[in-house]
Amino acid sequence: MRRNPLCQPADHRLSRRQWLGTTAGGLAAGGLAGIATPAVAEQLRRKNKQVLFVWIDGGMSQLESWDPKPNTIFGGPFRAIPTSIPGVHLSETLPQCAKIMDKLTLVRSVSTQDNSHSAGVARIQRGDPKNRGVVYPFFGSAVAKWLGAGDSGLPPYIWVKPGSGGFIDKDAGFLGPKYGALALGDGKPPENLIRPASLSETDDRERNRLRKLADTRYSSQRRSANTKANSFAFEMAEQLQKRMELFDETKVSDKDRDRYGRHEFGRHMLMARRLLEAGVTFVKVTSYGWDTHGDHFNAVANLHPKFDQSFAAIIQDLADRGMLHSTLVIALSEFGRTPRINGHLGRDHWPEAWSIVMAGCGLKAGVVIGKTNETGTDVATEPYDIGHLFHTWFHALGIDTAEHEYRNGGQPLPLAHEDMHPIREALA
Amino acid sequence: MILRFFPRWLLVLVAFPVLLLPVCAADVPSQIDQFIVERAKQAGQPLSPLASDAEFLRRVFLDFAGRIPTVAEARAFLADSSPKRREQLIDRLIDGPEYGSAMATAMHIALMERLGDHPLWTKYLTTSFAENRPWNQIVREILWQPPDDEKTAGAAFFLAKRLEKIGQNPVDYSGLTRDVGRLFLGKNLGCAECHDHLFIDDYKQAHFQGLHAFFKNSYLVNLNPPQVGEKPTTQKSTFASVFTKIEMMTGPALPGGIMLDVPNFKPGDEYLVPPNPKSKSPGVLKFSPLKAASEQIPMPTNRDFVRNSVNRFWFLLMGRGLVHPLDLSHSRNPASHPELLEFLADQFIEHHFDVKWLMKTLARTDAYQRSSLLPSGVDDAPEKLFTTALERRLSPEQLAASVAIALGEQPSPALTAKFIKAFANQPREPEEEINPSLSGSLFILHDSAILSLLQPKPGNLIDRLQKLADTAKVAEELYLALLSRTPSPEEIATVAEVLLQRSATDRPQVLANLVWSLLASMEFRVNH
Repeated sequence: MRRNPLCQPADHRLSRRQWLGTTAGGLAAGGLAGIATPAVAEQLRRKNKQVLFVWIDGGMSQLESWDPKPNTIFGGPFRAIPTSIPGVHLSETLPQCAKIMDKLTLVRSVSTQDNSHSAGVARIQRGDPKNRGVVYPFFGSAVAKWLGAGDSGLPPYIWVKPGSGGFIDKDAGFLGPKYGALALGDGKPPENLIRPASLSETDDRERNRLRKLADTRYSSQRRSANTKANSFAFEMAEQLQKRMELFDETKVSDKDRDRYGRHEFGRHMLMARRLLEAGVTFVKVTSYGWDTHGDHFNAVANLHPKFDQSFAAIIQDLADRGMLHSTLVIALSEFGRTPRINGHLGRDHWPEAWSIVMAGCGLKAGVVIGKTNETGTDVATEPYDIGHLFHTWFHALGIDTAEHEYRNGGQPLPLAHEDMHPIREALA
Repeated sequence: MILRFFPRWLLVLVAFPVLLLPVCAADVPSQIDQFIVERAKQAGQPLSPLASDAEFLRRVFLDFAGRIPTVAEARAFLADSSPKRREQLIDRLIDGPEYGSAMATAMHIALMERLGDHPLWTKYLTTSFAENRPWNQIVREILWQPPDDEKTAGAAFFLAKRLEKIGQNPVDYSGLTRDVGRLFLGKNLGCAECHDHLFIDDYKQAHFQGLHAFFKNSYLVNLNPPQVGEKPTTQKSTFASVFTKIEMMTGPALPGGIMLDVPNFKPGDEYLVPPNPKSKSPGVLKFSPLKAASEQIPMPTNRDFVRNSVNRFWFLLMGRGLVHPLDLSHSRNPASHPELLEFLADQFIEHHFDVKWLMKTLARTDAYQRSSLLPSGVDDAPEKLFTTALERRLSPEQLAASVAIALGEQPSPALTAKFIKAFANQPREPEEEINPSLSGSLFILHDSAILSLLQPKPGNLIDRLQKLADTAKVAEELYLALLSRTPSPEEIATVAEVLLQRSATDRPQVLANLVWSLLASMEFRVNH
């Protein structure tokens, strides 16, 4: 069925004023942790689960990464190398990941629906549920909703991305803007976060005291929702300022910089580790430029080593810090790439058979799930769609998709595609 | 035709009652208020008293000059005891030099939703509102411009911007269709593209597809200013619901309107003036669905258009549509005051879509002039009753201009651009609600543009305050400059206390703290 990209019924659109009005009070009192449905969230939050979501924008070729088919018709020029799990081979473009294969959970039987970019990003990140005429949240917003912000004093969903930053509320879909992503453009703090030296802390405190006094006087005989929402925005700014050390580059060792790589993706993955260490619930890192319709193999030789280096480094660091057992790591793209090599020595979009790699929290380590046929054109075992993966991830985080559902106004909505189920072989 | 045979003087006589109408218009504001008062009574909701002169002053300046008043303007109005002072101020501002630009900004934000901007588009809107061209004419010109017409060329931007290709994506004709429906008919048909709307029975797939057929052959002509071209429409569009899969056909048609016939021209015979690839001139079609849209949509008989128009102007001044959300007009989402909506629609037609008349009329109502203070003994007032003035979002443009005026600086495009960056919504997201954001707060807290305005410079607010020895005078100047009102005794006491706490050398900084605290306060940040 063709999807309707415009289907965003305003009947279900949460009014900004509504959510700010009804929740700002609670948030102001409870800090940023006040996000989620009470009982469930309380229970879940105590487990302190976290997520690292690595988004490879475009398509990563499964044949040059997780599912190599050397010496076959579509195999391409790269070899396969052994990994820390006997019998499991990865492409030679991922030597560092091969060494930590024992920590990874690989699904080689992913088969999804859409091969166009315009729809792909949102479809995959929203889990492609059945069309209910509402816009589903991205996984980051969903996790922000179910797990909350924890005690970090930081927003639950932070997105490290190239380019510009800001608060991206469209990720949240029907959950409403507060579950959106705080995007750190190029891993940098939000613009204007740092108090200029010309303004002393005393004066800053004094002027904010006077601001609050003015607001109290103003709102004493008026509707108070907007004033509360405004206070909340100032409080969020204040909370973030307290965590300035996160953005202090001098706190990062040269050794770590070298291990992660001094390229953009490496810097962003290192930032992600610091955010996870600081307790952020959901960290997304995006890498752009994975669309190798032409000159694919040279592009791979450039792209994959950067991914390999920083992805292996962060898995190792999370393991060393004892964080991997409570942090779910996912790396995926919009689709895989065609086995057939086109006339421009490129590979096109291939959702039919590709791979996704995961690690950590609640997952079996060192396993490979499913396989493709000999030439990699199709899935040879049970195919898993993105809906199966959403079920799996929720379960790994301790959120039973059979037990919990969203409530959008009065409308009950399943967390993930109701015709699909978790991938049992992946769950510990 | 018959009229041709009547002598001219008789025509004048026949037309006379129509000419009398503007005289009766004095009654229209009170008629509007009757609807509001009646409904409030039914709901048992007490009305807020009229706003103080200061609250009213700030409101009309923001609405019709796009900024708060200067200290001098505030002092002059607050000293005026003429019983007609409010009406006089309304007329002065609406007939004044800043009105065109203030309205253009408001309409630009509503129509372009931060998709982009173009100087000729701004110029077109500003001139149109300043010259008070009828609203139906403005909409007609936005949807179609005669070839080589300098006066309306900028109006093409509304469609041209939406006909741009973004990256590798094809032109978003569906988005364009949805926007025309939302912005000019008050109907968001977006969800009826692939099937009848699932929740709104009134919105049919045929409505979306019929509207789509007006625009599907338009394209961007990349000139400066950008123009809109149109390929010949030679057949009806086919579509099928994703549920029933039954194939249907439609020519261009407004929702619930009459479908246009698609004439059958021989290939090569579709143009009156063929396109000229050299000059990039798109040519003139014999059958132009775009031109037809520009005629049919803003017709007085198109009730969707007229209702949507008055509803959006009402929203502009009252902070909430009679139909709300603005783009969800359908039978199960009726207006809060249905008779009022029809009354306004009739009146707007009768006054030939005269926007200044409508603005002056609405601004004269008690509904507009009511205080945002709740009536005593009441904790809340339902927004849709309009019994207490609503707080309204200041556009980044209004905020930038007001900050500059308050702090004694000249407003500048550079400053406005910074405010837009910090306070505007994402593209395609209407700026209809108050939306305090992290980026906005951080901008007010730390941006150098704000902090530098708080440094004393000859003639600016801090400088003026520094020169005032008397604390009460400092407080008065401070409150008049930022909040367009005099301070309460309590507020004077706070100013005095703060100034006393620190040594004289700290005085510029203490004054900056005081000024900033009001600048960052909710009272400054909204139109209340």
